[in-house]
Amino acid sequence: MIRRNLSICLTLMLSLMVCAQTNLSFELRVLTNQKTALLDSIPNPLLGEKVNVQPHIILMGSEADSLPYKTADFIVSSAAFGEADLLAAFDSVYSFQVEAENGEMTSLVLWRNNKEIKNAQKRATRNNAYDAMENYLRTQTTPPSLLLTYLYWGSAAVLLLALLAYLFFTIKNRRDEKTMTSVQRETIRRKRANQRRHLISQSYLWILLLVLYAPIILILVYSFTESKVFGNWTGFSGQLYLNLFSGKGGTALNSAIINTVLIALIAAFSSTILGTLAAIGIYNMRARQRKAVTFLNSVPMINPDIITGISLFLLFVALGVTQGFVTVCIAHIVFCTPYVVLSVLPRLSGMNPNIYEAALDLGATPFLALRKVLVPELWPGMLSGFVLALTLSVDDFGVTFFTKGSGGLETLSTFIYADARKGGLTPELRPLFSLILLVLLSILIYINIRKKRQNK
Amino acid sequence: MKMKKLSDIASSRRTWAWPYVLFLGLFVVLPLVLIAYFAFTDNHGSFTIQNLVKFFTQSEAISTFLYSVFIAVLNTIICLLLGYPAAYIMAMKEFRTPQTLAILFIMPMWINFLLRTVATVELFNMVGIPLGEGALLFGLCYDYLPFMIYPIYNTLQKMDYSLIEAAQDLGANRAKCFRKVVLPLSMPGIYSGIVMVFMPTVSTFAIAELLTHNNIKLFGSLIQDYITTSDLLNYGAMLSLILLVIIGITSFFGGDEEGEKGGLI
Repeated sequence: MIRRNLSICLTLMLSLMVCAQTNLSFELRVLTNQKTALLDSIPNPLLGEKVNVQPHIILMGSEADSLPYKTADFIVSSAAFGEADLLAAFDSVYSFQVEAENGEMTSLVLWRNNKEIKNAQKRATRNNAYDAMENYLRTQTTPPSLLLTYLYWGSAAVLLLALLAYLFFTIKNRRDEKTMTSVQRETIRRKRANQRRHLISQSYLWILLLVLYAPIILILVYSFTESKVFGNWTGFSGQLYLNLFSGKGGTALNSAIINTVLIALIAAFSSTILGTLAAIGIYNMRARQRKAVTFLNSVPMINPDIITGISLFLLFVALGVTQGFVTVCIAHIVFCTPYVVLSVLPRLSGMNPNIYEAALDLGATPFLALRKVLVPELWPGMLSGFVLALTLSVDDFGVTFFTKGSGGLETLSTFIYADARKGGLTPELRPLFSLILLVLLSILIYINIRKKRQNK
Repeated sequence: MKMKKLSDIASSRRTWAWPYVLFLGLFVVLPLVLIAYFAFTDNHGSFTIQNLVKFFTQSEAISTFLYSVFIAVLNTIICLLLGYPAAYIMAMKEFRTPQTLAILFIMPMWINFLLRTVATVELFNMVGIPLGEGALLFGLCYDYLPFMIYPIYNTLQKMDYSLIEAAQDLGANRAKCFRKVVLPLSMPGIYSGIVMVFMPTVSTFAIAELLTHNNIKLFGSLIQDYITTSDLLNYGAMLSLILLVIIGITSFFGGDEEGEKGGLI
């Protein structure tokens, strides 16, 4: 018992030390952040203006045009600028390099393919750049970013508190146990073991959830600041929300939103109708036929989106169809319908098969019987299929990417991808997805609460 | 007279699936056949196995392929190791976990995964994790963990709890009860979880690009590169066909439990 307690204590101490260690390296980072913040306001030789961002990565060369360096704040592209510009930009880039040599800021500079220029420049401007930067830093001060400091110290404090509480309770329990009979001691130990198991299991879940949600929380937090760069806090502001609603996020974003909604609605509606009819048909088929069609139905679900996308892309290429809005809609119907079929089929097997025939016997046309008898029965399945199709369509990237063609059609997913590749997300995406998240969360919780109430 | 009418109706309702079967044929079967067609033809449409030979001789493609499979297997294992305990804790009554938690675990699946990935990259930048192989695994795990937890949770929840009680009554301790009763019963969930994580991971293309600043290329990115270059379209089709074969094998072993996804709402 003592040995186990000791080992737990040791583990906790160890994690505390690790935490302290990260903290130490973090302080170094704060220091460098402070300096980078200063470096930001050094005029960018390319633009001739002060750049108010934290540089993470400086990218140079022809690859700057094509590669997805979203964190790059200085992008020097050889296509847009001549060699003279490259060299001019080099001084500011080189400053960071000097810092990296001092054992800090190593993560800030990324060089690709420009070793020769770099070496040439190294000889020429090393001292100049370094001196200029040092002078600049000496004359300026800015407050460090505090978010991470809080995070690290907070976690350290929580760990310390947990350790203290643990020690306190172990000592207290030991003292209490002395006055008990052995039977009492046994039951209380068992109870405590259960409690501990409960505590450990629940904290595992919550820690996992926290880690899983960390990026999402980050989006939520940074939707309340105006900064163009994701991850750069420039004070609390609701400006992005206003921008989003007044359509100031740029026409590209607006049209991407409209396209996404339109495509999702078209795909969901069509696939609900197609899928419901198909489900009714499949349900009434003979066993072997049904098996074949069900297998065929499961193929688009098993296929990863890249395969679905490529296969449809090849189909449209082979047919000579110009890809655009229509092809994306068709593609979305392809991967949405199977889910509708699967949502409707269980409702069919749950309903009385005779009422449709009864309706026909009473003189209804098949269409009327479908509308008055089948649809009301299948409604819940159709609805859940519809919602599922909607979310699948909104969330899709792979299939859309391959079927959208080169006509400039973008949905939100492809827009984000193009944006992230270019470097830097459109800031209005943050409030947009925060809102989507909140709406989803409230819907799911509402459904859950209602279900619970119904169960009672 | 009446019998004839009934059979008419039955057959007419069966025909309701025909538009869908036609649709499936045109937009699912034909495109898959086309992948094979393009894979075994050259630019001018004549038969060739050059693309297949190229795959096995060109070291870039085959090494990327093996690396992707390796990453996917690793990711599946990590997801299983992290996800199983979570699903177990949520599904077993003894832990008294609130139901809402299960929903919270599925929630991230509903947020655009690209945005999530971008946010993950940002998180790594803030905490100071370098982007590379570790970040790639971490990010993939982020994206696909819910797909592992959900099916396992589903099977565990449907499991007959009295079986565990019976095992305990008969003298099995916790570990033995888990090994002999719970684990075998949750195998279908594990299989479908593995399929649902492995298949998207092995074919992923945008996530890896964002998570590693395009320093690490996975098979999906390679296919994307070739397919979008019109000269190499046929070679891209061959790579897709190889991926398709892998997917086919996986889903064959995993059984088709994909229907689990349909019950999300």
